[in-house]
Amino acid sequence: MLNAWVRTEGKDGRARRARGPQLMVVAVLALAASLAIAACGGGGIESSGGGKGKVETVKVSGKPSGNLTISNWPLYIDKNTVPDFEKATGVSVKYIEDVNDNQEFFGKLQPLLAKGESGGRSIFVVTDWMAQKMYDLGYLQNLDKAAIPNVEKNLVPNLRGRPIDPKDAYAVPWQSGMTGLIVRTDLAPDIKSICDLFNPKYKGKVDMLTEMRDTVPLVMKCQGVDLAKATEQDWLNAIDKIKAAADSGQIRRFTGNDYAKDLSSGDVDAVIGWSGDAIQLQADNPDIQFVMPKEGCMLWSDNMVIPVGAPNPTAAEAWMNYVYDPKNQAQITDYNYYVSPVSGVKPILQKTDPTAAKSDLIFPSKQFTAKCDAAPPLSGAEETKVTAAFNAVVTG
Amino acid sequence: MATGRRRLTPYLLLFPGVFWLVVFFVVPMYYMARLSLDSGTIEKGFEFSWQWSNYHDALTLYKDPFIRAFEYAGAATIIALLIGYPLAYAIAFKGGRWKNAMLVAVVAPFFTTYLIRTYAWQTILADQSPVTKALNAIGLAPGGHVLATAGAVIAGITYNFLPFMVLPIYASLERVDPRLIEAAKDLYASSRAAFVKVTLPLSAPGVVAGTLLTFIPASGDYVNAFFLGGPNNTMLGNTIQGLYLNTRDYPAAAALSFVLMAVIMVIVFVYIRFAGSEALMGEEATPV
Amino acid sequence: MEARAAAAPTYVRRESAPRRAWAWLKKRALNIYAGFAIAYLLIPIAVIIAFSFNNPAGKYNFTWEGFTLKHWADVFSLPDLNSALVKSLEIALVATIVATIIGTLMALALVRYQFFGRRTTNFLIVIPMATPEIVMGASLLSFFLILGTPALGTTTLMIAHIMFCISFVVVVVRSRLIGFDRSLEEAAQDLGASPIQTFWRVTFPLILPGVIAGALLAFALSIDDFVVSNFNSGTTVTFPLYIFGAAQRGIPVEVNAVATILFSATLIVMGLTVIQQRRAERMSAMRPQQEGE
Repeated sequence: MLNAWVRTEGKDGRARRARGPQLMVVAVLALAASLAIAACGGGGIESSGGGKGKVETVKVSGKPSGNLTISNWPLYIDKNTVPDFEKATGVSVKYIEDVNDNQEFFGKLQPLLAKGESGGRSIFVVTDWMAQKMYDLGYLQNLDKAAIPNVEKNLVPNLRGRPIDPKDAYAVPWQSGMTGLIVRTDLAPDIKSICDLFNPKYKGKVDMLTEMRDTVPLVMKCQGVDLAKATEQDWLNAIDKIKAAADSGQIRRFTGNDYAKDLSSGDVDAVIGWSGDAIQLQADNPDIQFVMPKEGCMLWSDNMVIPVGAPNPTAAEAWMNYVYDPKNQAQITDYNYYVSPVSGVKPILQKTDPTAAKSDLIFPSKQFTAKCDAAPPLSGAEETKVTAAFNAVVTG
Repeated sequence: MATGRRRLTPYLLLFPGVFWLVVFFVVPMYYMARLSLDSGTIEKGFEFSWQWSNYHDALTLYKDPFIRAFEYAGAATIIALLIGYPLAYAIAFKGGRWKNAMLVAVVAPFFTTYLIRTYAWQTILADQSPVTKALNAIGLAPGGHVLATAGAVIAGITYNFLPFMVLPIYASLERVDPRLIEAAKDLYASSRAAFVKVTLPLSAPGVVAGTLLTFIPASGDYVNAFFLGGPNNTMLGNTIQGLYLNTRDYPAAAALSFVLMAVIMVIVFVYIRFAGSEALMGEEATPV
Repeated sequence: MEARAAAAPTYVRRESAPRRAWAWLKKRALNIYAGFAIAYLLIPIAVIIAFSFNNPAGKYNFTWEGFTLKHWADVFSLPDLNSALVKSLEIALVATIVATIIGTLMALALVRYQFFGRRTTNFLIVIPMATPEIVMGASLLSFFLILGTPALGTTTLMIAHIMFCISFVVVVVRSRLIGFDRSLEEAAQDLGASPIQTFWRVTFPLILPGVIAGALLAFALSIDDFVVSNFNSGTTVTFPLYIFGAAQRGIPVEVNAVATILFSATLIVMGLTVIQQRRAERMSAMRPQQEGE
């Protein structure tokens, strides 16, 4: 068998040119075949005009039952919530952690959503700006608020009526959080602001996020831009600054969730990272700390949404209602250490996990987040241009 | 043996294969070409509009990874040749009873998933590993780290494609008739002269095959750059993958893929013309 | 000079020890080099296997933190990993069977018959092997996207895998067919067998090793395929795709264990094939001289 393998035919110089007539015949046949397919094909991206009709509202009927498929980010839920929910409602839950990156997830699902399908999912969790983008494309459904009274009751005030969803019609926050600096205080105690990341002293010891709406606005803040008034040019200027740093080797990598590895091993001194991760990392290494940048942080929320074609919207809304009960929410927050969108969680945690209850990262005070902003909105041609520019820096 | 009815047999035998390859290999190329001339966005839909500017735009915006892909693939191919030729020679001529075992060892990396063995290099080349520290001591690791540099990516590519270089060279070396070398020595050639004038030219087809089998897949690779490189070590493959699967800018992605394929075809034809006929005839040594 | 030093045993004048050592080194240089090169090839495999026994405290399996067998004990305890593995095996099985059948038929046609379009077909088979995977994956994706059907998923993966496996099966089976002794077939026909009987009872069993080799190659290519699958999988997850996704968050140690299992299984299958081939060669050597493989 080895001999057979080894005699693999390759480019051993036999640059055969097929005889003219033979090649012609085959070429004509191939062309004919493809034209035939082309003529009767099409139903894909070239004929979709991205048209959307009216946005539907979820139809909740009866008690929740059956199967429920949820797509979420990894490490965002504790071990017990799903089994507890299954016991409480009788719904059988398939919980998949396949959202690694908003754009990547959107890319995967877009061909299905455009046809009105969701690949079996009844809920997925994406960041606020992506939820809005999907909604504007007609890929999401409006929620039946009558079936989610807990949300109405317990949603924290500062997450109500957000610009992305003024009527709270389609997005229910799963967790929210802050993007700032996570620093190895033993290796680089002096890093206190985003601008410090560009200090040549830390060349090659800095990571930034591939999430454009975290990295670029923070750099804009470093450049003194008022995010409420940010223009397309401001975005592009910040991207240029990042590009210069990447080219010079100042930035070691652009990462998703995996900056944690670089921090733990000491390959980098500081990263732009997410608040909940800082607490998780601290458990392994107390020198790793979240540092609120001098310029302020970015605030974001990941949201549960129900897509078009969701097979079990009734169970989906039951899930939303379930996790908005402060008792259940406390369990989740105590695991992932992000900011809970549900009021009434703090008193529960004060009894079960007082350290967590005191943490500024889980229950940030207004003062802590005084200089923090949500990412400025981008849409249409602006978004395409800025995204392309940023991607060119990140993936080359 | 082509009697009346028999004439149909080969076509029947061939039909499923040719059909599959034409429909799922040749035709998609046409579709990719068509996609590269589309305009539009994923949200609003795409439309075929003979937009040749896609090519120009994509190539200007992404020329760095484009050039890097060929640089890294070229470097890796040369290094693989330098490492692989002596190895193939050793197996063919000095292998003895260990020959099969050595061949198995050469092929063994293929038995592990491509991604995992590239990922293993992350462990081996981690900043705190003994290997990196040793390289740092010799001065081969500027900046103190090997990962996230061009060197790591090239090393990864070389490793992953080394068997593709070794096996064809081994195959052609194995077919060299030892009596030819003996004859050369009988004519007072030194070992070195015998090698350069007899063995090397006879192994040229294997060298040609090996370099092509290494260079072609390496130029489109993106896994090594993904695991082992930094933001300024990305290759064209990373760009194409990002454009197709993240940004969903299909026209630009298709345009880049097409240009990649075209460039490779040109390089292959030129290479075969240049190295091909002489190597086949064994008339002169192929410049290595 | 080298020849004299190598013939040291019968030479009377004693060379100094360092010179003898140097001469010995020069003679063995190539073998020593080969040893290093092979070690280099095997190091990452050793690392993979070693780290499957690692006991990392956190989620990242980078630094050695202690020996444990627990990840081997629950090697199949991660549902995502299991479903990805099963999906990979499923696709590989189908792709192997279909590609082997199609490829063997093609190889038979190419070796046995002279027909119009032979050169072109040869060309058609070689080109997929010469195309970078990314171009194949990307073009297939373009094809499926524009047509709009089938939906990206298991079906498209199977189609893609069959496509790139066919060429390799053809090449392997063809090389087996080329050395084939037709006299056996002629003998069978002289004894009154029909062409189909001849094929099934004489030809096929004799080319079976080649067919199996082709099938094994196709299986290995399919299980390990990443690039083409990455482009055409939609939301389906195969084993390599699972690893790619997990790499961002920390590849669990169980993955190393699974990789070791796959590695050992392939090694064993390969070993068995080589042993079986040796046995067949020994048996054919005992028969009167024939043109064989």
